[in-house]
Amino acid sequence: MRILEKLKIITYREPGIRDFCIQTIRFRTLLENARALLALVEDGNEKVIGEYILDRHYVTSLIDDVVARLGMMVYDACVLAPEYGKLFYMQHDRHKRRAAELNSQEKTSGKKNTAGDAAVSSDPEYELLSDVLTWLNGEASEPGATVIDFMKQVFVHVIKKLDANNDSKIGLLIKNNVSKTVDCNMFLIDLWEDAIALPARPHSLEDINSIPLKLLLMDVQGGNLSPMAGDKARAVTWIAALSEYRLSLRTMEPGCNFHLETTVSGHERSDFIFIFADPSINTENILPPGFHTEITDHGQLAWKLDATPKAIEDSLISIGRHLS
Amino acid sequence: MEEQKLRIMVIDDENIVGKRLKPALEKTGDIVETFEEGKTALSRFDEEPFDIVVTDIRMEKINGIEILERILSKSSRTKVIIITGYATVEVAREALSKGAFDFIAKPFKPDDLRAIIARASKELRS
Repeated sequence: MRILEKLKIITYREPGIRDFCIQTIRFRTLLENARALLALVEDGNEKVIGEYILDRHYVTSLIDDVVARLGMMVYDACVLAPEYGKLFYMQHDRHKRRAAELNSQEKTSGKKNTAGDAAVSSDPEYELLSDVLTWLNGEASEPGATVIDFMKQVFVHVIKKLDANNDSKIGLLIKNNVSKTVDCNMFLIDLWEDAIALPARPHSLEDINSIPLKLLLMDVQGGNLSPMAGDKARAVTWIAALSEYRLSLRTMEPGCNFHLETTVSGHERSDFIFIFADPSINTENILPPGFHTEITDHGQLAWKLDATPKAIEDSLISIGRHLS
Repeated sequence: MEEQKLRIMVIDDENIVGKRLKPALEKTGDIVETFEEGKTALSRFDEEPFDIVVTDIRMEKINGIEILERILSKSSRTKVIIITGYATVEVAREALSKGAFDFIAKPFKPDDLRAIIARASKELRS
């Protein structure tokens, strides 16, 4: 089958819905690039301990891979939030300059690194690796100064932009055009197919061809999902873009932004859960153990990666239970 | 009965490799000599053969494949292990087809190399 024949799969009746799905797919590409970036940082952290035989080529390759992956992230972010493009590219250029400095760092700098023993600190390759890790994830002297801090900034800006979009025109379009599950106050969109192909109202979980959504709803108690608990509890509207293994779930309430992205395919390398919650939401009541969390001024980022498929599935069930 | 010590030669133009591998491999009591270029290493091999040669594949002047060929032409019993930071299927295939005992990609842990050396040692003594 030619690719043109496949394009009808994402031909939606309403342009707003199609744009929403394209935006969601692009955001997931951003997540994939962020995941690859985190894997590079983790690899560097593992190597710097000093147990490995490595050479300068490993370190310079690490630098080059980080710059390349950061460039992909910035591209995705600019597509999603073009008004921040100038800021993103300025920061990216700054990181490219730092990478070039590190790549040209002399082989014998004579500085001490953080790796611990004397043998390690006297090796210029380990010194360089230590400097690279400081650039990646050291203490940020100013916002975006380290690669990881820059990555967090990018996510916060992009999510804010996506939520602003949802609150306005796309939210209205979806409310008017997409089927609604009465039980959980959630609008469903098939991420890859025509939205109207979904059943008007799923009668059971079996009507939803999405493993992550089934898991999320599996242990839901009561009729509504809400990220707000206790005194703040209120009904919120959700939008869920689905495919068999993927779920992009967001609230559509101003001031109550909760955003969950997940893939549940049974493959450890591709499965993950990513969450953004604005400061009004207490994620302690929602997140099961094992999440990495980062606090920003605009909200909390949390993710679970490199976990077994069972751990991802159990986490989703738990999140669904705690949201209900 | 005490096992005879292995004579191991390490060749890598990155100083850090020999510097770190030497103490790690000597822990088992073997004799380890390190070199940063092939010509000196081959001269030393002519003076006194080694049981195992661990060589980087990408080096200026004489590369690891050439070292492999020349070592095996001098001593067919010597086990040659290739180390590389540029691991590709093609490199591995070429090295193995030319008689390398095994290969290992950088970065690696000394224990990983020791495991290969242990296998080589077993073959040498069988």
